[in-house]
Amino acid sequence: MTETPTDDDGAQPEIDDGRGEIDEADRADRPSVLVPLEVLEGESIPNGTPELLANARVVLLGYHTIPDQTATEQAREQFGETAMSKLDEFAEQLVAAGADVQTRLVFTHDEETTIDRLSYEHDCLAVLVPNSTEGVESVLVALRGTVGVGRNTRLVAGLFADADVAVTLYHILGGDESPADGESFLNGVKADLVERGVEPDRIETTIEAEDVPIDAIASRAESHDAVVMGETDPSVTTFVFGMPSEQVAERFLGPVLVVQRQRPEE
Amino acid sequence: MDGSDSADTRESAPAPPDLEASDALADVVDADTGEGELERTIGLVGGLAIGVGTMIGAGIFVFPGLAAENAGPAASLSFAIGAVVALLVALPASELATAMPRSGGGYFFISRGLGTGPGAIVGLGLWLGLVFASAFYLVGLGSYAGQVFLEAGIALPIDPAVPLGVAFGVGLTALSLFGTENTAALQNAIVIVLLVILTLFLSYGSLDALGVFGAESTPERFFPPGGALPVLQTAALVFTSYLGFAQVATVAGDIKEPSRNLPLAMVGSVILVGVFYVVTIFVATSAFGSARLGQFGETAMVEVARSFIGFPGALAIVVAGLLATFSSANASILSASRAVYAVSRDGIIPEAASRLNLAYGTPHVALGIAGGPIVVLAATGQVELLAEVASFLHLVMYGLICVALIQLRRERPDWYTPSFRCPAGFTVAAVGGLASFALIAFMQPASIGIGAAIMVAAYGWYRYYATDVELKGDF
Repeated sequence: MTETPTDDDGAQPEIDDGRGEIDEADRADRPSVLVPLEVLEGESIPNGTPELLANARVVLLGYHTIPDQTATEQAREQFGETAMSKLDEFAEQLVAAGADVQTRLVFTHDEETTIDRLSYEHDCLAVLVPNSTEGVESVLVALRGTVGVGRNTRLVAGLFADADVAVTLYHILGGDESPADGESFLNGVKADLVERGVEPDRIETTIEAEDVPIDAIASRAESHDAVVMGETDPSVTTFVFGMPSEQVAERFLGPVLVVQRQRPEE
Repeated sequence: MDGSDSADTRESAPAPPDLEASDALADVVDADTGEGELERTIGLVGGLAIGVGTMIGAGIFVFPGLAAENAGPAASLSFAIGAVVALLVALPASELATAMPRSGGGYFFISRGLGTGPGAIVGLGLWLGLVFASAFYLVGLGSYAGQVFLEAGIALPIDPAVPLGVAFGVGLTALSLFGTENTAALQNAIVIVLLVILTLFLSYGSLDALGVFGAESTPERFFPPGGALPVLQTAALVFTSYLGFAQVATVAGDIKEPSRNLPLAMVGSVILVGVFYVVTIFVATSAFGSARLGQFGETAMVEVARSFIGFPGALAIVVAGLLATFSSANASILSASRAVYAVSRDGIIPEAASRLNLAYGTPHVALGIAGGPIVVLAATGQVELLAEVASFLHLVMYGLICVALIQLRRERPDWYTPSFRCPAGFTVAAVGGLASFALIAFMQPASIGIGAAIMVAAYGWYRYYATDVELKGDF
């Protein structure tokens, strides 16, 4: 339980000790985060986002969703320039805070397809649900289990190891899990984070037994500035009520980093 | 795909044409050129649904009565002839579509392959062809909506088909103005429901006709008294039932993996609906005599279903007919507005016609230009005339698509690198082109007159407004 799953990274070698050296190695290891913004609908970079993502490799996705009856080409022709100049403005804000930024602008009939494709193309660890926050001092990291947890730790360590941010690891016990199981799971994650450069005294662990994870996470989140949580497989429940990450984001009203599952190699 | 940034995508785009890089062309179109990239969101199922959804409304739910009246049981042969002609065009059209996976379909192929003049005739003709087709579907939709009143036992003083069709026309245009976001998902669902109802109904009907459930029905003389001529005339009339495959090409810009999915969706949807049509006529003419079917008019299939399964059958077919004609009408109105966009993008008509409304993301001018005449034409209620003019204008386009294929294969311009190649291309295109033009000859004189007048007017407009637009080979 304590060993850290190091599944996810074939592409980037992990250069842990490179932190002392200057940028190059450090930057290659930065966690990539996709930030989707519906630029033409007036969405802009919310307060606190540049700070939150100062250490990230940001893929800034400007998108515009067009109804099925309109050709995407037609919308690009008419709105492309405006959208692109707005997107460049937003990119500058993020760069000013210290992030590496790539921009993509996409005209689409279906935003989910687009977000999915881009997060895959850029191998993004997480997708941000862009909500505003006042400063970033504490982060709630909701963890479900060992599968893919390495992506969570890479993201959290990458974003917050050098920042003065308190990290709360939060786990809700499953049906057949004992509190001891949960504790050893979180301690393993903590050890991994420490190894990746997060100071141990900034990490807190909390275990709870709750019936409705979404409610629990949302109410916990209120005392934090941002939430990190995982994706959920689509099911009838998510179809009816929406993705848990969306529901949490709606109630919490702050930024939520949704950690993406490892994509199958093609 | 590549994980590189947009600048790299641009540089690496003009890849060699064959093999694995088959969608290189699509990538060039979608790639970011400083104004954003384009997402392709329609897969094979979506493409098939567009084709089938546009076509199936007419052939099964409007034409059987009219066709049987004209050609007797041989009307199924008329539908088969239509399917063959459509296939002969769908194959060359697929090749062109994979070489030019852009919105605009047939107009785009012809204007790039043959030049602005033919392009203008086809582009404006396609717009009006779709206007006529939409009006035709709306009258069909009105007939089925009127049937609802009949089934409910509500007597109306007048035949409600035309007024209801006009009302639906106004409603659908307004609906599409305000951006109906999930039209694609809705279309898929409608098509699936339709295919299920039809498969059940036609299986039962076929078994019954073959005598499984009792006495085999006495087959009528297969050919009508006039011999082959009425069969060909009917083929020309019902060809409207096969216009939909070209609609797949008008959304070519939205199709994922166009080199694979475009040909499959176009050819597949023609074959699928062709089989349904032929079986439908077989079932219908085995249930009633042709003359009787003719009296039932547009909603003949309701009576056929009633004769098999009674009221539930009639009800199922009324519902299916409503769905089918609704989806056909809706798809055609949207295609008509895309046709307007395609010609206005190229400067053949003023650019203002393709302006998008930012709030709704819809081309309000183009939809208005399409929706207005549709409503007026639906008000005439001339089902056969509307259908034939629509077919005429499409057949001209189909013929020219075949000509464009031959021309492009001869000229071999650098940009012409289709990933799907039509088997026996020259032969198929030559036969397809000749068959398309030949079918026109079997239409009523009035339809030919109106169609020819529209072509002359389109050419006149081109001479007046767009002589300085050069589109041949323009990418």
